[in-house]
Amino acid sequence: MNAKRVLFGAGDCTAGALVGVATALAVRAVVPAGADMVGAMMVGMVIGTLVHLVVGIALTPLLGMFETMVPGMFIGMYGGMFFAMRDSMQAVGIATAVSVGAVFGVAVTLGIAFWNIQLRHLTNAEFRLPLGGHEPGA
Amino acid sequence: MNLRKKWDRASITYDLLTFGEDLRQGDDKRTLFSRARGRTIFVAVGTGADIKYFPPGLDVIALDISARMIERARQKAALYEGRFELGVMDVQQLEFADESFDTAVTACTFCSVPDPVRGLRELFRVLKPGGQLLMFEHMRSSNPMVGLALDAMTYVSRLLGPDLNRDTVTNVRRAGFQIIREQNVYLDIVRAIEARKPHAS
Repeated sequence: MNAKRVLFGAGDCTAGALVGVATALAVRAVVPAGADMVGAMMVGMVIGTLVHLVVGIALTPLLGMFETMVPGMFIGMYGGMFFAMRDSMQAVGIATAVSVGAVFGVAVTLGIAFWNIQLRHLTNAEFRLPLGGHEPGA
Repeated sequence: MNLRKKWDRASITYDLLTFGEDLRQGDDKRTLFSRARGRTIFVAVGTGADIKYFPPGLDVIALDISARMIERARQKAALYEGRFELGVMDVQQLEFADESFDTAVTACTFCSVPDPVRGLRELFRVLKPGGQLLMFEHMRSSNPMVGLALDAMTYVSRLLGPDLNRDTVTNVRRAGFQIIREQNVYLDIVRAIEARKPHAS
């Protein structure tokens, strides 16, 4: 494994942790314990989406647009919903919000990286279901 | 906003915004572009960041819709070990004769062309029969969750530059090309595509 891959991998995980922490803190600031859970989850999703856009745009020059935006999108949208669900049920401390946000962000980033390893370098001929839903070479 | 003005403006920050992507995907571009041969048309040269990935010794005519992009590309084009001409032109209205190129190359181009099929048909027209089309493009993911998110993000990205949800492979087919090979570069969003203009039957 070369240095470039290691550095970009570390950068991706850091970016994921940043989006997770920022989303968790923003949601914690907006959603009080006892709030309606469905409404809180919708608010959390919007907050997470906005957070990932801001962090994503800031980190795109260093890490690349899609490599930043795709994991960020999952962390922001789903993390925002999950964090809002939790915060509507119980008040959590800052340390818990930060640590759970960071772990969630890194976990999603690693999941997307694993997914990319499965898909990367596959060609249309190697896909059982061809890319884009069409017959290879048709 | 006028398309030329949008890309003139984008030329100021283009190299900065694509710095990381260039580092990550440069090797994949070099592999794809190594298949170029003969007289080559390179569409949307931008600031010339991709010129270094072309194999030496080609006869390349590189175009962009933005004069500011072309200005920034001149220095990099001068370093190319071969013939590398630059010009301002819209891929939807190419000013070249039919069947005048052996290879057409694009890199993150057809995410931004307003009428991609029209642009691809122009490339089809200027390529010789059997000529190849080499594309390094991002497009809509076939995964529904990622695809929908790219649809939503396109409302924002379009203001700054590209669409994120084009169905480029289908557009290539609609223009008349035969797909030889598609290869994923990042998930199934960024792909290297090789296509060919069929010989007349």
